[in-house]
Amino acid sequence: MAYVATRGGERAIEQSERLFREAMGPIEAARVAEIRAAMPYLIDRVMGEASLYDEDLAALALAQTGGELYEAVLLLRAWRTTQPRLGVAAAVEQGDLFTHRRISAAFKDIPGGQVLGPTLDYSHRVLETDVLAGKPFDPPKVDPADNPAPAFQPSVSAWQAANDLVDLPKPDTTKGEAIPDVTREPLLFPSKRAHTLQSLARAETGSVLALGYAAMRGYGQAHPTVNELRLAEAEVMVTHPSGTAFSAGRVKVSQAEVVSKQGETLGLGFAATFGWNEVKCIAAATLDLNAKGAPKGSATEEEFFLYHTEGVEASGFCIHFKLPHYVTFQSSLDAMRDARAKPVKEPAE
Amino acid sequence: MIDHGQMLSVLARADAARLKTFAETLIADLGEIEVRHSRTGLVMLPMRDTAGGTAFHLGEVLMSEAHISAGAVEGYGMRRGRDLEAAMAMALVDLAVAKGVALAECHSFCAQEAASQAREDHDNLRRIEATRVDMETF
Repeated sequence: MAYVATRGGERAIEQSERLFREAMGPIEAARVAEIRAAMPYLIDRVMGEASLYDEDLAALALAQTGGELYEAVLLLRAWRTTQPRLGVAAAVEQGDLFTHRRISAAFKDIPGGQVLGPTLDYSHRVLETDVLAGKPFDPPKVDPADNPAPAFQPSVSAWQAANDLVDLPKPDTTKGEAIPDVTREPLLFPSKRAHTLQSLARAETGSVLALGYAAMRGYGQAHPTVNELRLAEAEVMVTHPSGTAFSAGRVKVSQAEVVSKQGETLGLGFAATFGWNEVKCIAAATLDLNAKGAPKGSATEEEFFLYHTEGVEASGFCIHFKLPHYVTFQSSLDAMRDARAKPVKEPAE
Repeated sequence: MIDHGQMLSVLARADAARLKTFAETLIADLGEIEVRHSRTGLVMLPMRDTAGGTAFHLGEVLMSEAHISAGAVEGYGMRRGRDLEAAMAMALVDLAVAKGVALAECHSFCAQEAASQAREDHDNLRRIEATRVDMETF
């Protein structure tokens, strides 16, 4: 590689870190609690990309890094390695999700109906500048319906399969530690589907959106329609030493299915992630939809999008270019000067 | 009466302060307790892909775990988050039920917490139902 070992600058390094941290001031539990309470969607995004679900740790990482998202995710991924793995929960099934939001852009009358849930989709985007002048922004409360929504909703794709619109493969029976895991084995291509979906679940939102958007704009082969989008809570089902299964708590998850006509049936793309992050899921599902048969080196080719949406690796590689490259750069300059010093041969007439 | 799995699920989601206060009342009657584990750790959470049927890992969830025993009887607690005391309190209630200690009080506590959780879910679902949309196309 093109690095060179250097010495010196220890004091400057220490002071530069102090300068960074000084801007945030002392971090106390109250600040962490405030970040957690005030920015749930940012917390969700960080937990998804870190592949580690804990709101307090995510809020702490944001407080400690001043909101530098790549650093926050890196902190959490690093912290994760200090913890033992206690086990693998039972797989979350779509029908068991405690559903807060479920919509379809493909079918108006899906079984179970459409529930908007929490969203700004149909809102005016108005910055409440009065808050800065001292007038609090206190949004009106929800008027609850008389009856509750069903906690669990049926699957749109299962309904489509029943109507011969999509071919759904039989669910695989892989469980627990046997499920392929990119945190314990290398990502190889063509990748296992479990690796692809896990990588997209922990991918960096902006990168997924950029490549997914490229596919949507025509640099992919299939234009997506959102078949089903869900924001929900999943039970983490673990096992008591006696063998009794129980839920150790709920976590927020998002999932998206996108659909496109493929021959005489519909093709499906899928993605899910920790937290509520629907832009990432729709974009990731679009990449999944387009991956089959994608040209080598295109934005929708699996190897291309999985390597380039891994935020910790990508940001790490990007910032490594700040490291001293003095020797190799000097060698490039020497080569350039040599080339300049050589007499230019006149082309033969 | 709720079964063991339901009881554990209720305790895992129970209000941490109330759970700790209740568990403290059980300690004196449980005899000598051995703590096998009291730790934080991660539980990997898989999900089933609805397009391909594949189980894949969403990511890891931070858990607190407590595993205790009194003689041959075990008590176990696992809750989301890093509250080791709450996980230990859950394990104490589980141990008490397994040993038949303060059974009526334990069942009453779990029933109250279950009712509180059911109310919370009900209220949430009424708020969610308020966002149901019946679309018309033109």
